[in-house]
Amino acid sequence: MKNYIFFALSFIGLSACNLSKEVELDLPEYTDQPVVECYLQPGKHFRLLLTHSSAYFEPLGLDSSFVQKTLLQGATVTITYSGQTDTLYNNNSFELSPFKLYNYTGHNIVSDTPGIEYQLKIILPNGGGDISAKTKMLSFQPIDSVVIQWNLIDTSARALTYITDDLKTTDFFRRTLNINSLDSVPEQDFVWTDRVSTTSLIVFGTGFDLWTGNKVINTVYHIDQDYYDYLESVQLAILANLNPFAQPSGIKSNVSGSANPAGIFTCLVFDRDSTLVKM
Amino acid sequence: MKNFSTLSALLLFVGLLKAQTTVTISGVIKDAQNGETLIGATVEAPRYKKGNVSNEYGFYSLSIPVSRDSFEIRFSYIGYQPLRRKVKASSAVRLDVELKPKGTLLNEVEIKASSYTEKVHSTEMSVSTLSAREIKALPTLLGETDIIKILQLKPGISSGSEGSSGLYVRGGNSDQNLIILDEAIVYNANHLFGFFSTFNSDAVKDVKVYKGGFPAQYGGRLSSVIDVRMKEGNNQRFSGSGGVGIVASRLMLEGPIKKGKSSFIISGRRTYVDLITRQINKNNADVREYNPIPNYYFYDLNTKLNFTFSDKDRLYLSGYFGRDVFKYKDKQFNFLFDWGNTTGSARWNHVFGPRLFLNTTATFSNYQYKVQNIFQGFSLRLGSFVKDVNVKADFYYQVNNTHTMRFGANFTKHQFVLGRLKAGSNDGKIRFEAGQTFGGSERCLYISDEWALRRNLKINYGARVSLWQNEPVYFRSFEPRLAANFSINDRWSLKTSYARMVQNVHLLASSGLSLPTDIWYPSTHIVRPEKSDQIALGTSYLFGKNVLLTWEAWYKRLKNSVDLIDGAELYGNPNLEGQLTFGHGFAYSPLELEIEKKEGKLTGWIAYTLSWVKRGGFPDINRGTNFSPRYDTRNNLNIVGIYEINKRWQLTATWVYNSGSVGWLPIGRMTIQDVAGAPIKLVVPVYGDRNNYRMPAYMRGDLSLIFRFKIKRLENDFTLGVYNVTNRRNPYFIYLNAETEGSGADLTVKSIKAKQVTLFPILPSITWNFKF
Repeated sequence: MKNYIFFALSFIGLSACNLSKEVELDLPEYTDQPVVECYLQPGKHFRLLLTHSSAYFEPLGLDSSFVQKTLLQGATVTITYSGQTDTLYNNNSFELSPFKLYNYTGHNIVSDTPGIEYQLKIILPNGGGDISAKTKMLSFQPIDSVVIQWNLIDTSARALTYITDDLKTTDFFRRTLNINSLDSVPEQDFVWTDRVSTTSLIVFGTGFDLWTGNKVINTVYHIDQDYYDYLESVQLAILANLNPFAQPSGIKSNVSGSANPAGIFTCLVFDRDSTLVKM
Repeated sequence: MKNFSTLSALLLFVGLLKAQTTVTISGVIKDAQNGETLIGATVEAPRYKKGNVSNEYGFYSLSIPVSRDSFEIRFSYIGYQPLRRKVKASSAVRLDVELKPKGTLLNEVEIKASSYTEKVHSTEMSVSTLSAREIKALPTLLGETDIIKILQLKPGISSGSEGSSGLYVRGGNSDQNLIILDEAIVYNANHLFGFFSTFNSDAVKDVKVYKGGFPAQYGGRLSSVIDVRMKEGNNQRFSGSGGVGIVASRLMLEGPIKKGKSSFIISGRRTYVDLITRQINKNNADVREYNPIPNYYFYDLNTKLNFTFSDKDRLYLSGYFGRDVFKYKDKQFNFLFDWGNTTGSARWNHVFGPRLFLNTTATFSNYQYKVQNIFQGFSLRLGSFVKDVNVKADFYYQVNNTHTMRFGANFTKHQFVLGRLKAGSNDGKIRFEAGQTFGGSERCLYISDEWALRRNLKINYGARVSLWQNEPVYFRSFEPRLAANFSINDRWSLKTSYARMVQNVHLLASSGLSLPTDIWYPSTHIVRPEKSDQIALGTSYLFGKNVLLTWEAWYKRLKNSVDLIDGAELYGNPNLEGQLTFGHGFAYSPLELEIEKKEGKLTGWIAYTLSWVKRGGFPDINRGTNFSPRYDTRNNLNIVGIYEINKRWQLTATWVYNSGSVGWLPIGRMTIQDVAGAPIKLVVPVYGDRNNYRMPAYMRGDLSLIFRFKIKRLENDFTLGVYNVTNRRNPYFIYLNAETEGSGADLTVKSIKAKQVTLFPILPSITWNFKF
């Protein structure tokens, strides 16, 4: 009898374990969308990555030609600002460490003057429609200081990154924190708005999980609301796919047009600080 | 207001016009063993074919035009021995009676179930009731009896997702249920993110759910009223009951304060998984890389006192306090998250005479959550609460043998504190603050009349008028109510009802699963009162003595529905209304069927619902087109059987089938390079229209075997339960998984798969229950 009970309980236990299984789904139809990523970085050429999305189960990306297949080539891309227009030429270019890819590059250099308005216009080949967007250069937001604090109970440390915010305006920030190298996956990557700040001093902190010898690379981006909303929606879309408690979200883009695009056209103003953790 | 005055005058006039010289018998019907009043017990004069049922406080009044000096009155209640009394004809007779339960070994009597005959001929429709016996007998998740999960087995009610204590009634959202415990509102009836309900079945006397045809005394929510009444406490002898399960233990004590006159009941429940996790954490405290396991527990405390001052005056004081607590502490964080309800009620019953009964109530409700995190030099505190204070008077007036009126007034004061955030450094140099505060009040008057137009035709008509005030915003509402019953013969009746309901507090919840941090928000100049209109048609047929078939068809229309925009940001956002979108909805069912048997060795019910639920007109959702909410399941079939093998053994089984809820899945994917320093996000899901995918069908069978035995005065049972007995992998949610490999220019997608996650496999449980 004991054996029977043992086997019965073992069977229940084993059969109850595997709670995830692969299923076949027939998802609703999806038409590919052009995806724009254009970050105007002061001191750099106008650069833009134009790709297209795909149906979720499309085999696109299942081999090494993925990048080539995703790129959307042959479009006419112009950026207009301060009365002049730069037409970006269609040519793949790379940046290494960290790896970045662009398939449209301009001739002009992005100015760091705050308030300049930039207008993007893209005409897709073969009557694929048009895309347009606007953005403004933002002011530089410096990092005031990075303070390393040691834990009282062991030798771990934390980094506190301070900035001074202008309380008269509603500002948006993105903060990333890499350890040792920019090529690494950021330990922290989040967006923040000063809507809830009542003091001009803002701090971004880490936990006590830094150790002697770590190089802490703090980057604080001053971003606009469009980019803030876009990043939030991307994060939500990724999260909701895995978390039944989360509400899914469509990607909140600031590009629009007859091509039904998704993506972001924004300025990239940031300050970066590297601090070595040492006693 | 003008409409209300005209209606009141008309009702009173009709009542007075029909008044005759009759004998009026009134009194209170109680349980002979413990003195509990019996709700919905039948009192009838068979010779004159007149009858009535006792109200929520056990009080009844019956007016009969008599032709003899004496006549017989019969009292009955399912699970109790009927009682006959001879009454001498005089203008007013006071007759309090005590019914004896039929009883079993555990003395687990059925203390609720209107007699089927009364049910057939009542104007009430779209009503489900639960007996204490049913609540305790049915199979449960991890051995925890759960009233809400049993209600989900009734027709027209669904759970929304596996294991959830959510209630979606006739296409309504989970916030559209007026859940009242001894008349105090319970805002969040869940523990553990919805897996358990807040109601401790040991303390519950009676549960009644109105899904439509709402009586005029109820208002404030669109889709249902769930009226939970706590036990009053045994006023004859000290007794107790309790249980030890694998998740929680509970204990209930009750007894007389003064025998026959006053009593108390106190009941508590607590989970104890945290006791194990605490010990594990303690044992590993010295391990450097050890991450402590968070501690979680919930507890409830119900208490009630009742005092009978005379046969005309009775006072009830009751309270509920429940909390969920989640704690996490390591070298960096000291995190605390707790949430729960507090309710309190004081009720005074006064019998003015054989025809007029008054219940005066004052209630207090509070639901709050609190998040606190303290770490070296910094702290964060976030919280919300909704607090209500309510006073009301409800009159029950037996005008004559053809009219029974109910009328009353109600005043509620609300206080809302939403997303109160206080964070910053301890030295005060850095501060973050957010939060909104609202007030609000509701005043309402109601009146209704149950009018027996002919022997076989009854109507119940009435109205409710209310005024919502959230300065400087005022909303007036007029809510007509109508129900009718036409009895074709003693066994068969046709019914119809219409009800308008208005809701001025709205839950801002995502389309995902319910969370304790979901926000209750008042009506404002932007968030208008939600309204519903529901019409129902139905029939009841009694097969033999104790099998009741009920068929209903209904249509419900919703106006000013509130939903969140995609990607809504609710925390620390001073402009919450900017995150909302407004539309409408509808739901209908041509077939909501229940076959129910409450007496005999085999009892139970079969419930089937075929329904459609839609929302639409939201400018920010699916371009204003119609879509299905998550809980729109087309076919729902629930079978519940309780078989009394003998006095010691009982077998119960439930079988649940629904044709699949609605999910919102990505339909596309895109690749985002992002800015410098961030690696490529190779697969970003692209969501199409909201709720675009029908999940696979859900099916589950549960079994429970109860063995009862007695050791001296201690009555015991062991309940062996098996949840999901076939170990079916039901879908809880589906996600799309893309595995990537490589980096930089070589980064590529390795495989793309859809995965279905099941929450509960086969889950056996054992519970020991005792009673003395």
